[in-house]
Amino acid sequence: MLELVGVRHCYGGRMVLDLERFAVPPGALIAMVGPNGSGKSTLLRLLALLEQPTEGEVRLDGEPVCGGPARSRPTAAARRRVTLVEQRPVLFRGTVRENLGYGLVVRGVRRIEVNRVVDNVAARFGIAPLLERHRHQLSEGEVQRVAVARALAVEPEVLLLDEPASSADRAAAQMLYGALAEERRRRPLAICLASHQLEDAYRWADDVRALAEGKLSPVTPENLFRVELPNAGAGDLKHIRVGTIEIAVMTDRAGPAILAVAPSDIFVSRAPLTSSARNVFAGRVTRLARQRPGVVHVTADVGVELVAVVTEAAAGDLQLTPGGPVVFAFKASAVRLF
Amino acid sequence: MDFLGEGLRRALALLLAGDAEVTGVVVLTLKVAVTATVIACAIGLPLGFFLATRPFWGRRAAFTLVNTALAFPTVVTGLLLFGLLSRRGPLGGLGWLYTWQAIAVGDVCIALPIAAALSAAAVQGVDPRVRRTAQTLGASAWRTAWAVAREARFALAAVITAAFGHVIAEIGSAMIVGGNIRGSTRTLTTAIALYTGQGEFGLALALGVILLVLALLVNIALQVLQGKAHA
Repeated sequence: MLELVGVRHCYGGRMVLDLERFAVPPGALIAMVGPNGSGKSTLLRLLALLEQPTEGEVRLDGEPVCGGPARSRPTAAARRRVTLVEQRPVLFRGTVRENLGYGLVVRGVRRIEVNRVVDNVAARFGIAPLLERHRHQLSEGEVQRVAVARALAVEPEVLLLDEPASSADRAAAQMLYGALAEERRRRPLAICLASHQLEDAYRWADDVRALAEGKLSPVTPENLFRVELPNAGAGDLKHIRVGTIEIAVMTDRAGPAILAVAPSDIFVSRAPLTSSARNVFAGRVTRLARQRPGVVHVTADVGVELVAVVTEAAAGDLQLTPGGPVVFAFKASAVRLF
Repeated sequence: MDFLGEGLRRALALLLAGDAEVTGVVVLTLKVAVTATVIACAIGLPLGFFLATRPFWGRRAAFTLVNTALAFPTVVTGLLLFGLLSRRGPLGGLGWLYTWQAIAVGDVCIALPIAAALSAAAVQGVDPRVRRTAQTLGASAWRTAWAVAREARFALAAVITAAFGHVIAEIGSAMIVGGNIRGSTRTLTTAIALYTGQGEFGLALALGVILLVLALLVNIALQVLQGKAHA
């Protein structure tokens, strides 16, 4: 298990990551979602043992391998268990074949075995025709696929992917995720990927975690808003402006914060209901997505875009259709601030 | 123009005739320049890599020191080295004063900051993702350094050329610690200075042409290497 414990990481005195604990269990497929600058890439670089956390440590199977009070540096053996593919990966000088074999060559694997593994991984990722090409002869999407294949050629225990499909079209992304799923069926492999594509995250990951301003969101990644909380007395019901609506919140905090509403905490109806919910917003359905069997994500424009989750049966009963009317309601106490 | 033409004709004649003295001067010049360049680059390139990639306390001061050394006058280098190598100096026991080794040591002192500062700049110019990628694929520190060096190889080749060009054209230090002794420590630059002073303009110009040709050959060799690398 790869984990960050008590990690606080700063760049130029600015805190970019603040995590009490973040674990990637063996065989897990975790998707990290969050806006640009939320700390996803930093998190991946720390997990990849490429940077020492300013505070806290990285542990591998419970053993500290990087950081901590001793400011220990990771050993080559520890680093070889985790591989990162960056958002815009670079290929080394040389052919795609040389790139795919790089990790094996630096491990001292014999040339015959390197070629066998390279041919195998190239076939699985559909890049066999590219093997003798150089990096300047590849498209961005091809470079990304080669980089992922290069990372998997060394068979790491943990694969870290930063926006792995950012340069790929839908078909290429499907193929990439399909190849990763096949790899996980073939051998134990934990994957932690950062993505801003919520759909991809829900579709491919077992566990979706949201990151906002360097902190883990206590709820799923939809309905996150950066807000400024006004000064007011303790325990006050505050009304926070988000876009064109005002959301009622119970908090005694003030200052900048991230406001989150879990999609499962939102009641969906076609007309306003009499209830204790302080937040009732009417709007129109903009999208219906069946990301898992039996579950529908309802996206509605109620002044801002909010997402709610209902069962497929409920969606049918309410006759929800894109463009149709909908009312979202949630209690002030359901709004989380962090 | 006759003056220049005469110089060129004389240079050609000297080279074709295989004049022993000129050949000796050229060989010694190359021996000193190659030795100094190899030693300076063997130390300077890793030092530049270290400066460019490893954060450590006093790194900024180290950079300032190396960059300042770039502008260090070569005659002052020669003067300090003379003090060290003279019979009463701390390194006097080596007996290197007025030998080609003394000139080579002076040239190393001159080329080392060039190799370190320019290679640091070359390595800093490499995309930082190259280093991270090598590390994350399991490369050792040496392998990582090699991956970065491969990316910067044209710039690093230019660093070696610059260092070689500097030492082959150096005169201040060579004159002071070498002494310009005929058949022993006379290099192309010190010979040019001497023959110019003696009014032998044609001979001085001939040696100047040879010096230029040597510099040109090194640059052509570099371009050929770069051409092959692009192919």
